[in-house]
Amino acid sequence: MALLEVRDLQVHYGGIQAVRGFSFTVEEGRIVALIGANGAGKSSTLHALSGMVRASGGSIRFRGEELIGRRADRIVRAGLVQVPEGRAILAPLSVQENLELGAWTRRGEPSIRADLARMYELFPSLAARRKLAAGRLSGGEQQMLAIGRALMSAPRLLLLDEPSMGLAPLLVASLFTTIEAINRAGTSILLVEQNARQALRVSHHALVLSHGRLFREGPSASLLADRDIIEAFLGKE
Amino acid sequence: MIRRNFPRLLIPWFIGAAIVCLDVVLVVRNPGDLDRLLINAILALSAFVTLHARLLSLANAGFMAIGAYTSAILAVKAGLPMALAIPAAVIACGLVALVIGLPVLRLTDVYLAICTLGFGEVVRILIVLLPGLTGGATGANLSTGFPYEVMHQAQTWMILLLLILLAYLFWTMSSSRTGRAFRALRENPRAASTLGINIVAYRNLAFLMSAMIAGAAGAFYAHSVGSLDNGDFRFTRAVDILSFAVLGGSGQWFGPLLGAGLLTALPILLRDVVGASIGFLRGFAQLPNILSGLAILLVIIFMPGGLAAAFGPASGRASGHRRSKRTAASAPVPGHPAFPGLASRGSNAGGPTLVLDGVTRSFGGLEALSRVSFDVEEGRIYGLIGPNGSGKTTLVNLVSGLDAPSAGRILWQGREIQRHPAHLVARAGIGRTYQNVQLFAEMSVRDNIHVGHHAHIRTDLLSTWLRLPREAREEKASREESMALLERLGLADIAGQSAGTLSYGDQRRVEIARALALRPRLLLLDEPAAGMNEVETARLGQLVLELKAAGLTLIVVEHHMDLIMEVCDQIVVLNFGRKIAQGSPAEVTRDPQVLEAYLGKD
Repeated sequence: MALLEVRDLQVHYGGIQAVRGFSFTVEEGRIVALIGANGAGKSSTLHALSGMVRASGGSIRFRGEELIGRRADRIVRAGLVQVPEGRAILAPLSVQENLELGAWTRRGEPSIRADLARMYELFPSLAARRKLAAGRLSGGEQQMLAIGRALMSAPRLLLLDEPSMGLAPLLVASLFTTIEAINRAGTSILLVEQNARQALRVSHHALVLSHGRLFREGPSASLLADRDIIEAFLGKE
Repeated sequence: MIRRNFPRLLIPWFIGAAIVCLDVVLVVRNPGDLDRLLINAILALSAFVTLHARLLSLANAGFMAIGAYTSAILAVKAGLPMALAIPAAVIACGLVALVIGLPVLRLTDVYLAICTLGFGEVVRILIVLLPGLTGGATGANLSTGFPYEVMHQAQTWMILLLLILLAYLFWTMSSSRTGRAFRALRENPRAASTLGINIVAYRNLAFLMSAMIAGAAGAFYAHSVGSLDNGDFRFTRAVDILSFAVLGGSGQWFGPLLGAGLLTALPILLRDVVGASIGFLRGFAQLPNILSGLAILLVIIFMPGGLAAAFGPASGRASGHRRSKRTAASAPVPGHPAFPGLASRGSNAGGPTLVLDGVTRSFGGLEALSRVSFDVEEGRIYGLIGPNGSGKTTLVNLVSGLDAPSAGRILWQGREIQRHPAHLVARAGIGRTYQNVQLFAEMSVRDNIHVGHHAHIRTDLLSTWLRLPREAREEKASREESMALLERLGLADIAGQSAGTLSYGDQRRVEIARALALRPRLLLLDEPAAGMNEVETARLGQLVLELKAAGLTLIVVEHHMDLIMEVCDQIVVLNFGRKIAQGSPAEVTRDPQVLEAYLGKD
């Protein structure tokens, strides 16, 4: 059984339909990239998965259970967590408090302490700043914190919405290294990225969304060489 | 489709008709309530003006009191005819508003609310402390001092006439340059200021209008009721006035009228109904108030924009839903280099047009920018790069006038601008976009561009109200130029959509279009390609080059190095607030310090 199985997903905003019957699966242990032009429906898909918007049709089965209609916090409890576009860290709270809040759904569990230590291992620059207000972090550190906070809920599937946006080139490289490390430690990842080339390089499998529908999918390596994909998203190197 | 939408379209008209029916019943039962209804409607408009400009003011009851007492005193003690006493009272309110507006309007939100609430109480205390003039705490002296004939001469038709006049003024204003400026101010004051809108002036204008309208309502109230009591102008009155506007909706001018119509009639009618009903209900004296409170609560929960929101957005006519499938076809039209509104001056690269001289900005003890100096030559593209937090956006904020340097000078075309407010910097020809897109989300794409024309449209409020031909001419020109600009940027097919519903990349392009509507000489782009894929980024690069060809000077903050390398003539590199390198793209990418701090060595 696939970890996540999405069938004929539909998302509407008022009269505008953003996702028009999108079906895909995410297998356990994989990084799946979701790419597509602006307005193709990528963020809408993630929002529907995490319960931030309610899908208007189709089904989302996560570990065999239907997610549509569930409250966002229940979806986090079920093991699916989203890192929002634009980070949305809690600026006045300290780095540590942000991370601890990430474990809200499992508060009281003794394993939280160990996970916290693991986050500081994964993001060493956060360890040095654990008492600092999160708003004082640089853009790259804020992105790391947002990911770390999401991981603190001990998810099975992590949704990343444009993690490289607004990051300096040096940080982009280290971000993708981190994403691979998180995956190796056992978390499956659904990655939405405008930086399609990087996304295809780190992912196992890729989905290309166009006008709310699946346009193409396949192993990432083969899409990297696909003429249509190069023309539409990658441009000339 | 039409069939299914039909009942929905009728809802607002049904609400409006229901309120009119309630008011008709109210007036038929007791004709004396008509004056109260009309005065409440005028008061609702006074609250609307401030709310519409995003000012949470509770001063209306205070201004109403000033208007009431001033006109009464002038009529009774000075023997002025009503036709002079009422205008004099309105002018008095205006003067008071101008004086207290200066310090008070620096505050916003809840601070402004508390401060204006205090103002209302001060007015009431002054009334109590001046018994010789006002009748003091009891108000009794006052009413005996007023001969009934003098006071009770405001006829209902006069109040109605005033209400109709005000409705006309608001109706014409709503689609004018001033109306757009208020809407822009309400949605995003920062963005409005960098489009050349003087937000301080507009806030003061709104406060002034609100005060004068409340004053007029007060003056008519005094002359209609015939006696005054300071208790009429308590805090609860201020809250009532505000709830007319909130319940009715502060997005459109007729909203407050609906609110006043409902909230005037409901408690009175409920009281009558409850009073006439079976015995045990009569025991609950507060029942009518509880029920009308419940009605307010229900409207606010189910119609957060107020009753008027059911009628659709303010410029609703154009909210087109025809979003045709757009593919790469929305690329700028090639071989069409002219940008509407931008006088093509060709690329006349000559001397420095912007000079930064030792610019420093510290926040607390931390220097976000530290003695940064460089010259920007006309007609060239400058890249501004550096790690996150190195001061790039701070620099853009300083140049665009949103922030002022702690030390150093910024010269634009030879003149120091570092102390200029943002709207003057914009009018001097410096436009910008934002790292986190700052569109007027609830306005259509077309109206966003319209606001960009603010500085170039000269129609003032008076010509709007008098319907001078100049306004029609200017509005038509602005509409045409907006559409031409949108077409030029490949955005014409989304012109009618509200900006907030667009995808991130489209929002960025609309923001560039809006900045171009200002017809700038220098354009500051803060991470224009964030959220764009490589193909979209390449298209943006093409646009930037075309803007340069049209004679524009650009400063581009970006992390997409492909874009920077392709378009920039010069690159300035910041790290920890200091300039660590400047030069051509080739020079900068070889610089070891830049490699170390920013690019990485691979």
